[in-house]
Amino acid sequence: MNHRTRRKTKMFTSHSLRRGWQRCLAGVAALALAGSMAAAPAQAATSEAPASENVLRIATDGFIDSFNPFTSFYLVPTNTFRYMYENLVANDAKDGSITEGLATEWNTDSEGKVWTYTIRPDMKWSDGEPLTSKDVAWTYNQMMEKEEMAVANGSLVENFDKVEAPDDGTVKITLKKPQANNPGQEIPVVPEHVWSKIDKPGEFKNDEKSVGSGPFQLESYEANKSITLKANPNFWRGKPKLDEIQYRYYTNSDAQVQAIRSGEVDFITGLSPDQFTALENADNVELNDGNGRRFNGISINPGVADAKGKEFGTGNEALKDKKVRQAIRAGIDTETLRKQVMQDYAQPATSFIPAVYPDWALKSDNSVISGFDVAEAKKLLDDAGWKEGSGGIREKDGEKLQLRFLTDADAPIEQSTAKFLKPWMKDIGIDLKNESSDVDTVSERTTKGDYDMYFSGWSINPDPDYQLSINTCGQRPDADGNGGTSQDGWCNKEFDKLYQAQHVELDQAKRQDLVQKAQAIHYEEAPSVTLWYPNQLEAYRSDRFDNFTKQPSDGGAIANQVGYWGYSSVEPVSEEEATGGGMGAGGWIGIAAAVIVVLGGGGWLLSRRKKSDDRE
Amino acid sequence: MSTPTHDPQSGDRPDRGPGTANPGTDPTNPSPASAKGSAATADANPADPANPADANPATVDMDEPPAGGSFTRYFLRKLGGAATSMVLVIVLGFFAFRMLPGDPVLKIAKERPMSPAQIAELRSQYGLDKPVIVQFWDYLVGIVTGDLGESYVYRKSVSSLIGEYLGPTLLLTATAAVIAIVLGLWLGQISAWRRNTLFDKLASSTSLIFWSVPTFWLGLILLMIFGGTLQWLPTGGMITPGLDPWSPAGIIDVIKHLILPVVSLVAVVYAQFLMIMRASLLEEMNEDYLTTARAKGLTEDEVRRRHAVPNALLPTVTVVFLHIGGLIAGAVTVEAVFSWPGLGKLTFEAIRGPDLPLLQGTFVVFSAIIIVMNLAADIVYRFLDPRVRRA
Repeated sequence: MNHRTRRKTKMFTSHSLRRGWQRCLAGVAALALAGSMAAAPAQAATSEAPASENVLRIATDGFIDSFNPFTSFYLVPTNTFRYMYENLVANDAKDGSITEGLATEWNTDSEGKVWTYTIRPDMKWSDGEPLTSKDVAWTYNQMMEKEEMAVANGSLVENFDKVEAPDDGTVKITLKKPQANNPGQEIPVVPEHVWSKIDKPGEFKNDEKSVGSGPFQLESYEANKSITLKANPNFWRGKPKLDEIQYRYYTNSDAQVQAIRSGEVDFITGLSPDQFTALENADNVELNDGNGRRFNGISINPGVADAKGKEFGTGNEALKDKKVRQAIRAGIDTETLRKQVMQDYAQPATSFIPAVYPDWALKSDNSVISGFDVAEAKKLLDDAGWKEGSGGIREKDGEKLQLRFLTDADAPIEQSTAKFLKPWMKDIGIDLKNESSDVDTVSERTTKGDYDMYFSGWSINPDPDYQLSINTCGQRPDADGNGGTSQDGWCNKEFDKLYQAQHVELDQAKRQDLVQKAQAIHYEEAPSVTLWYPNQLEAYRSDRFDNFTKQPSDGGAIANQVGYWGYSSVEPVSEEEATGGGMGAGGWIGIAAAVIVVLGGGGWLLSRRKKSDDRE
Repeated sequence: MSTPTHDPQSGDRPDRGPGTANPGTDPTNPSPASAKGSAATADANPADPANPADANPATVDMDEPPAGGSFTRYFLRKLGGAATSMVLVIVLGFFAFRMLPGDPVLKIAKERPMSPAQIAELRSQYGLDKPVIVQFWDYLVGIVTGDLGESYVYRKSVSSLIGEYLGPTLLLTATAAVIAIVLGLWLGQISAWRRNTLFDKLASSTSLIFWSVPTFWLGLILLMIFGGTLQWLPTGGMITPGLDPWSPAGIIDVIKHLILPVVSLVAVVYAQFLMIMRASLLEEMNEDYLTTARAKGLTEDEVRRRHAVPNALLPTVTVVFLHIGGLIAGAVTVEAVFSWPGLGKLTFEAIRGPDLPLLQGTFVVFSAIIIVMNLAADIVYRFLDPRVRRA
């Protein structure tokens, strides 16, 4: 063996290899050094940056395809449109009822077919151009004439026959069929002088320097980073007190909680009960436990079928008997669920219109409402022919009463609900199996009717017409999901008649009565059990901002309103606050870390080089 | 020894251009080729007494071309393997996401007041009304022409989206990779050298603890401590909105935003490098040449740095390449926790969509990165370790 040669080769290797490493590391160190040198004089600049500006920073994680009000239907853009574009009529902060928007007055002919609006005179777009009825008519006609302009809100103009602007102050909408619901809601009106000049308005992104009529205008948008809105000085209600609203992207809701603790954002929404309670003791953070416009419920497969009545799916035959469905409702202690599962951050529910719309929600004193009653549940099952069998599970014609409850495995609320439900159903003689799966599987199986019960939820707009409509027979989709949309896949001729009647009833009081009756039928038929109306849990920095407007103004939520009330009234707390945006300890730590890396790495390299040089 | 490279090379020599001086006569040739040659010689079986070349290693080293006929064959074989994997990935990328349950359009339309006409319009916009086989063909044609389709959510071409989001991911993963590799290798060699001391036990067990911790959890804990409670560092994003990333203030801001995600990523991966380095150095430590080095009068430090570590680096470097690919994929979690606007976050959002073209695109790109890294590892390994060359 030849130690000498071997060592020699080894040394050779080590040398050349190390050379490579040194070069590489030296490069990194040089880069870092350059970076820190460039950064050093910047400290002063950082602390002056956006410190004292009057900017409301909101955490978000929403999808954005574009800010084109004709095509985008995602939640964040839709909510932003409400701040960017005034509608013909708005929904009030107090209770969501119709209030003035672009129009100061409106009336309809005797049957609700022709709607005439008087536009407020002397209004201006954010760019200073006059805003007239011509803009309204142009916007509506775009949606009626062009498919690509109807992607987002096409359903709102489906019933429109023609829209005219006989003079600058009047808009006349002629409908195909009469309707009681004011047709001027929720359609963003855009400036004709801007949009008519765009080549392909359906593909226009509209993501910087928007021109609109609402309180804030989109200034700039950086995907997955930020959305910046600027106050509109020409807003007809007056310029908002905020200068800017800035949405910042936070993918993770726990990160949002940390961001409000540290004061990097001023407002967050959509908190879980645990996150909400965790913020109770945070400094300078005010909480808002706002009544929401959503319901959660358990949809029970009543034997789903498409619009023509052709049945599909694997729903248990037993559930076609409404007595069994009513028994399930009677066996569920919704009050315990609301307190335990929702930790009391939800309102008690009756039917699918939430309590924030007192005009429309099913009154809790309605005679049809029956509570949690185990004896009643057992009696109903007895009546339906399901007799007590072995192991406490009911049987009929040798078949056991076994049902599947489809839940989303990633939703803690659904999982805890399922845990409560199993023993309760056992008590009344139903063997309930929790089938938890991913949200996509749940969605596919419910579309195919492959379920007995599943956990459902909807957000409801101020007018009940849409939600009622998706409970009618004609709106049921087929097994591929084609056709309409249906809340519970349920069909009832009586309900359909009441839906049609309220749809054209111009007398508000009479219409409310019809809506009550329709919901009562849905309740009695029990194609779903409404569990609660979840609260929207929000938090804001009370050391920076104040005077948020809630909808409904008594105990409602700030974000996701139907309207632009939430942030428009916000005022900064004081002038002198100069926190945020400063250098802070973090910057110093960062610099220190960079210096250590550079010095340490550089020193080490230098020493190495010296030694290796020596050696050669 | 050296036979594997020696054999083919004798046939290759005539092919080499005249510009290549006969390296045998020039033992001091500092060109990289010679360096590699010597590296190769070092690790080849030195105990082969049958080979007389061993007696004159310098000459043999210099003779060796880094790329010969066998290398081409080796390279082509590896390239073929990589290409096969890539084709499988492309096919899988299409069908795997189509097999996901649920109709993307219905999911997008869920709970929105949409008429059947609107839903049908969306389907045709997304091309989902065509038969699957036609969609697959469009996808294949697209891939070949470099067009990965258009994202449902962003309404932009997937290729340009990936291009936009690649930068932040590279910044994050490259920073983390450099730190993790340097830290891991450095701690690893010290641990091995002082094996079974307190330092070794502490360093190894700490790294393993971090390695076992879920990235997601660690990220959130760091976020809570340094972001929410101490408020030293920002809680998310890459830069404070409104700052110009190329201004001095912007660069500082980016560094501040970079610290927590990099620390999480480094903490979770550096153990791999530490363990590899430690193991390979331990193997070297019983070698005779170290005894010789000590006998020469070198200090322990010098023995380690000049002799043991460089040899232990050989197997390590290739493994490092393999792990870099994994590191980029590992960024998905970290980016989601720290709202880092990179490819990982893009993927995360695409799953939420589900944005099929975007998912396909990121899947293909992530897989391609890993395949390329594996290929690079194979090639680097061959350059560094002649034992592979024999194969």
